[in-house]
Amino acid sequence: MKNITRRTFLKNAGRAVAVTAAIPGLPWSWVNLARAKTPGYFESEFGITDSLCNKVLAKALSKGGDFADLYFEHSIRNWVLLEDGKVNRAYCDVALGVGIRTVKGDQVGYGFTQELNEKSMLASASTAATIADAKPKKPADQFVALKLKNYYPLKTLLTSVPLESKLPLVQSVNDKCFSLSPLIVKVNAGFHDDQKRILIVTSDGTKAEDLLPRNYLYASVVAEKNGKRERAGWNFGGRKDFSYYTQALADEIAKTTVDRALVLFDAVQPPAGEMPVVLGPGVTGVLLHEAIGHGMEADFNRKKISTYSTMIGKKVAEPFVTIVDDGTNPGYLGSINVDDEGTPGQRTVLVDNGILSSYMHDKISARHYKVKPTGNGRRQNYQHFIQPRMRNTYMIAGPAAPEDVIKSVDKGIFVQDVSNGQVKIGEGDFAFFVSQGRLIENGKLTAPIKDVNIMGNGPKMLQNVTMVANDMEMNKGGTGACGKGGQAVPCGFGQPTCLVKSMTVGGVKAKGGRR
Amino acid sequence: MNKEMRDLAAWSIKAGKSAGAENCRTSISRSRFVDISYRERKPENIKEASSKELFIEVFVNGRYSGQSTSDLRKDALKDFIANAVSTTKLLAEDPYRTLPDPKYYKGRVDKDLGMFDPAYKKITPEGRHKLVKAIEDTCLSKGGDKVISVTARGYDSHEESVLLTSNGFEGFQEATVFFAGGQMTVQDVGDRRPQGYNYLVSVTKKGLTTPEKIGAGVVKRTLDLLGGKKIKTETLPIIIENRNVPRILGGFLAAMYGRNVQQKQSFLADKKGKKIASKVFTIIDDPFVPSGLGSRLYDEDGFAANKRIMIDQGVLKEFFVDWYYSRKLGWEPTAGGPSNLVIPPGKRSVKEIMKDLGRGIYITGFIGGNSNSTTGDASVGIIGHLFENGKPVQAVAEMNIADNHLKFWDRLAEAANDPWTYSSWRTPSLVFTDVVVSGI
Repeated sequence: MKNITRRTFLKNAGRAVAVTAAIPGLPWSWVNLARAKTPGYFESEFGITDSLCNKVLAKALSKGGDFADLYFEHSIRNWVLLEDGKVNRAYCDVALGVGIRTVKGDQVGYGFTQELNEKSMLASASTAATIADAKPKKPADQFVALKLKNYYPLKTLLTSVPLESKLPLVQSVNDKCFSLSPLIVKVNAGFHDDQKRILIVTSDGTKAEDLLPRNYLYASVVAEKNGKRERAGWNFGGRKDFSYYTQALADEIAKTTVDRALVLFDAVQPPAGEMPVVLGPGVTGVLLHEAIGHGMEADFNRKKISTYSTMIGKKVAEPFVTIVDDGTNPGYLGSINVDDEGTPGQRTVLVDNGILSSYMHDKISARHYKVKPTGNGRRQNYQHFIQPRMRNTYMIAGPAAPEDVIKSVDKGIFVQDVSNGQVKIGEGDFAFFVSQGRLIENGKLTAPIKDVNIMGNGPKMLQNVTMVANDMEMNKGGTGACGKGGQAVPCGFGQPTCLVKSMTVGGVKAKGGRR
Repeated sequence: MNKEMRDLAAWSIKAGKSAGAENCRTSISRSRFVDISYRERKPENIKEASSKELFIEVFVNGRYSGQSTSDLRKDALKDFIANAVSTTKLLAEDPYRTLPDPKYYKGRVDKDLGMFDPAYKKITPEGRHKLVKAIEDTCLSKGGDKVISVTARGYDSHEESVLLTSNGFEGFQEATVFFAGGQMTVQDVGDRRPQGYNYLVSVTKKGLTTPEKIGAGVVKRTLDLLGGKKIKTETLPIIIENRNVPRILGGFLAAMYGRNVQQKQSFLADKKGKKIASKVFTIIDDPFVPSGLGSRLYDEDGFAANKRIMIDQGVLKEFFVDWYYSRKLGWEPTAGGPSNLVIPPGKRSVKEIMKDLGRGIYITGFIGGNSNSTTGDASVGIIGHLFENGKPVQAVAEMNIADNHLKFWDRLAEAANDPWTYSSWRTPSLVFTDVVVSGI
């Protein structure tokens, strides 16, 4: 991991820190970001009227094209960070801009501007228009607002939560960690909140507004024992109201973090080679996301890059395997009321009782396949164009008891937590780092394991899922960000305990030995 | 120096002090880019925009915060900065958080590092399209009948940044960046569709070589992946391809940052002046490489840039220590992070080395994995070739290497003569002995 400088910290974001709202002297835009109701926000605060949108969209379609859209964004991201016992730093980032897209078939022209005035927007629209080369097309004169369900209602806007409420929460995580074990030598903790307002206006006459919260409370600790050091971290979060962050939750984060660090002193590295792998419930769903989910994003299939591009309607797993991608789970990280091109949030069944039933579509791929968009058109921010992206991806609970899954393995590993996953879409190959787990010996969980990779092939792994338990669990973290094409978007994931009959485990010794 | 940016930065510092800050540091960046990709012999994406950002750090009564915004109108900025100051007052005091001692600003070299390529001004939209089309054409013509998909891409940008502090530092940097490359997917046996890539990045346009060479690189690197499979777990010598060395080196380097040392997250914390790796391992941090992607005259603290030997023939000489962590550690600061990292190249080519090694793995890509800066343990998936008697005999995939950095770098046997210059980490291919490569 590279060290993160102050400025790259803000650019890369995703961790902790800072600031503001109910503090005297707020800039006008912040006050408004906190106060204004969602409908009409961009019109009342920035003068974004239907007629202005019509004019900009007309420019975006001035050389033809199938459709065009505008994506307005105003967001504030805050981090409050603790190091060496004190909440002694805060960061804040404010972003305002509009992205303008012109689409012709599968071709995209894109421009963005940080200045929400007519002149700048028309200039960006001209850039987007260059993708087409036909006669001008007329956008809709009026835009009808979509009626959306709200999967992340807030009692209080995050920008209205005073800093004084966040500071003791972060401090308490630190104090609790130190109180739980004398072996803890360092604690880092922090609270992050992100409040994003968006307005999408499309040339076919729809518009949608949303307010997306995202937040998490986290801790990471270093423990020291007999001259050895171990490090672990944990967080809870999602698209939550601030009331979610209770003292009990802060204590749970501290306890989980400390427990995860201390267990590593007894951990061994498993033998290297192929063996059965039991994936525990919850967090390991990230493996499902990486190894299988990405291959079902429609752009990779439209371009015939994914191994799943010829598999719609075919058997890809055992009949007890059903996988969904869902934007409608209340408060989860990947939930969306509307996607970033104006398709309402929804639930999409990808694998239905073992049969590949749908890809995840944006508008471009939906037109290509002549199906309805599935609400997976997402982007990092106004500076990026749409791609099909996952929301909350998870496997539905199966018939087995979790203990029976473990009992079925003679020699293998049980994976409790994984991180740093990567997949090669075309080959389907993936690699994941196991940060917490156990050996399985004679059907029983034994020594903890650490610092190993598991490798495999996504489609093969899915075929090799031979048992699925009845303990489906969603990951409760708030830091999960999926990277694709240089863009990071928040995603949720989960799964029940399941058995993969064979995967490659990357240890340091041949089979049979422990280190 | 861009006067408009400099004046705004100075104004923001004044506004910060008027609002109650003792000190401020402001950086303003501005960039313009064009990004074009082609697929199926037509533009797939055309993207063009300008962006700007102001980042101000305020130091108030021994307290600190940093705030950034893209809204650079003075009336909005004034409120923004005033709020930054009031926010900072609510945080805990941090006695280590100050602006650097100005003595570290002194000694800045007055030198043109060649970071702005005048050729940038002559680029036309037609020229951009021609470059990307030519990459795609080469891929399609040389790729053969196994090609499923090709995407070619070209990007260029002009970036300016200014850094000002309230205790006397002023700096301006301007750079151009050119990027060109492509990725290709081909049909392998069964359902496998290997995807390869070749991307080059350079400060100068001519540094990208020709689109034909770039395209040929895409084709070779993709077709080389055909037939990839895992083989039996075995202890073998490995050669890590030059452009892929940073992936494994990054894990080692994490332990060389002052922050990780101070936070007890560095397996190198107590090893300064000690032998930590093989004699072949030398790393130089060189900010003065002409037109180097990491070249600079000062760092983010404003410290005057210096060339430093970080690791000398296996002995750890320096850490990357910025002003803040130098104060926490009680150490002399160096630089907050690397500029151009240089591993001196050796004398032999990869081909010559392969012949000598007999049987081994040539690693051309990594996948997933992790490196723990606290313990030094690392594990990562690999992609590449099994070679025997100097010749590739089997593409490998779904395999893994795992080790502790201190043991791994002690087995560095040789550096090849092929430094990768399209990155700020200018690394040659590296040879390691006795590595457990896990597969079946």
